[in-house]
Amino acid sequence: MDFSEQPHQTEIRDSLNKILSEHCSQECLKKYDSGFKHDEDLFSLLSGNGYLGLGINEKYGGSGEDLYDLGILFERLGYHAAPLSLSGCLVDVAQTIQKFNSDSSCNKILGSIIAGEIYTSAILEPSNQDPENPATSALIEGNELIISGTKYLSELASIAKNILVSVNSDEGVLLVLVKSDQVKLTELSSTANSPLFKVDLESVRVDRKSIIHEKGKGLEALRYLLQINMVMRSYFALGVNEKMTSLIASYTSEREQFGRVIGTFQAVSHRAANCFIDLECHRLVNQQASIKLNTSLDCENDALVSKIWAANTSHRTSYSAQHLHGGMGVDKDYVLWRYCLLAKECELINGSASQNIDRLGINITTNQ
Amino acid sequence: MLIELNPKQLKLRDELQEYFEGLFTPELKAELNLPEYFEGGGPEFKKAMRTMGSDGWIGLSWKKELGGKELSPIEQYIFVETIMRTGFPFPFLTTESVGPMIAEHGSEWAKEEIATKILKGEIIFGIGYSEPNSGTDLASLQTKAIKDNDGFLINGQKMWTSLANFSDYIWLATRTDFEVKNHKGISMFIVPTNDPGFSMSAINTLGDVRTNATFYDNIHVPDSHLVGKLNQGWSLITSQLNLERLALVNHGPVEELYKDVLKTAQATKINNDQYLSDLSWVKHNFAQIHSGIEALKLICWKQTWIMESGQLNMAEASVAKVYGSEFFIEAYRLMMEIIGELSILKNNSEFRILNARLERMYRTASILTFGGGTNEVQRDIIAMAGLLMPRTR
Repeated sequence: MDFSEQPHQTEIRDSLNKILSEHCSQECLKKYDSGFKHDEDLFSLLSGNGYLGLGINEKYGGSGEDLYDLGILFERLGYHAAPLSLSGCLVDVAQTIQKFNSDSSCNKILGSIIAGEIYTSAILEPSNQDPENPATSALIEGNELIISGTKYLSELASIAKNILVSVNSDEGVLLVLVKSDQVKLTELSSTANSPLFKVDLESVRVDRKSIIHEKGKGLEALRYLLQINMVMRSYFALGVNEKMTSLIASYTSEREQFGRVIGTFQAVSHRAANCFIDLECHRLVNQQASIKLNTSLDCENDALVSKIWAANTSHRTSYSAQHLHGGMGVDKDYVLWRYCLLAKECELINGSASQNIDRLGINITTNQ
Repeated sequence: MLIELNPKQLKLRDELQEYFEGLFTPELKAELNLPEYFEGGGPEFKKAMRTMGSDGWIGLSWKKELGGKELSPIEQYIFVETIMRTGFPFPFLTTESVGPMIAEHGSEWAKEEIATKILKGEIIFGIGYSEPNSGTDLASLQTKAIKDNDGFLINGQKMWTSLANFSDYIWLATRTDFEVKNHKGISMFIVPTNDPGFSMSAINTLGDVRTNATFYDNIHVPDSHLVGKLNQGWSLITSQLNLERLALVNHGPVEELYKDVLKTAQATKINNDQYLSDLSWVKHNFAQIHSGIEALKLICWKQTWIMESGQLNMAEASVAKVYGSEFFIEAYRLMMEIIGELSILKNNSEFRILNARLERMYRTASILTFGGGTNEVQRDIIAMAGLLMPRTR
């Protein structure tokens, strides 16, 4: 039992905090409240300093496979509300390829991701509650796949050259890299102004070699992708929730009413304490899930527990923070509002708490 | 970061499981089902305690030189978890809280006569802290111990003195200095329950657990019954609080019951082709309980790690207390929903389920949100120590 971070992890956290606090001031963030939310300079800085290699094995040029390291990156991105959406690239593509692809293309792709080339994924589909069973299909013709279907909530697809998509075929589920110039992209306008796209695939032809995993491993790879995405996005939510909780503490420790600081009212301090308890639960189940994913490719229940806590904590902390800030909580000149919007995105992407409770309940009662 | 039990700890758990299975004779099980013996005190209970004593399973937290096992906090947690899963009412406060304090701070008499017998499983203590007017604000207690020539004269009243009805001594908090600030004038005494000045009346609780009001009428004890220095009792009361609170919210019992309710739901047919566990709302309840237990387990494990590494983290200890005690209430409710109306049937009734454990557990769970440091005070501590907010008033 050891809940402490290793020295190199604390170092990652500290230096990320330094970089991100410089690039995510109110003024910097304002630039991304409308338009395309992606800070290219910040992205290059992270790449230049090796942060895109977190969670990637040294043999591919990364800084080691420990997923907790990668978790720190997402947690800090959330904490600073950074204008970077990187889970498609660093989690879905990089991690799944690292675990399920053993040929030379793996080396090449991971190398270019670390060097700052943007890849992304397109996994979720509108009105499909079961991402393990994609409606997008691939027809296999000799050495070619012909892919048709619609994906959405794909991050940064407009600036990614390659998009990893999940499809169903006669050979079962496949994960395939397609070129972004082969698909039709439509930008989606969303609550936190994240750079999300609809991806239409109309008879897109790709070579069999674009399948990123060994034959027969597609479903296993997709399940892994979905789980690690849940866990890493939970880390992002953890950073968002930590920031909102600290804003509650600092604001209510200064704001005076009735001649006293409002944090001295038990009704106020207890609501803050509840956020602290939620945050601690969220952090612990999140850590447990990422540690288990280090040694196992399938820990769905732990990923679900992490997601359920992340979703509930995001919702509860967001509304507590808004409420305890009074009008300040909704004022766009103060810092809180962006976090509240991000919290809602964190809560709902990869399914709501209720949806994942449903899934977990099925697993438990069928002894999975 | 490593969040799992190591092989040595897993081995300890298996060893303990096996040991407790052997200890749990049918006679003991039957005795513990009788309301008057829920909390122990019966002949089979006493026998089991002596066996544990002679097998060396008492004194886990005690230092080795005092005859204890000096287990680490995580090992102690595993012990508590394993024994609580069996349902045995192990008197932790006597053996793991009062015992080591007497062994370390007691007089020669107390060390030889009392500490040794605690280790052998021969003595049980009741805890005399709360009073009619001193609950959450414990430091305001008024039971008096006045120095005389060869000892102290004790007068006063205590409330909620659990186990007093079968204990040999009371671990009594008294006021010995009325001139100083409340917590600076408190001293701890060992008071024999066979003294003619000692009396009690039963308080019967909603959970059918008996507790007591205890009365101390001109009880004279020699100096040797004082534990620790005069007027320095408060630190003895508070020194073990974190460990005690952690024992209160151990995840073992609730997880044990959850597993049993799950098996029951999977085996209960509700029509020709469906089991109780096939219903979606039942699945949801299980998932909620499971997510809650995972968080509780991790909070407790982290707390043991904090203790083990010698850190002091008041906020985390209070998180464990608040979250655990409130989760129990919710978890029992969710489990009772699954079993439905059958779960209100008592142990002596036809149709009872799981020996009516749910029916009893929900009735006893409520004391934990205020007992062991009320949750309002714990939330105050979280806001202050965890969020650095100003003190509430």
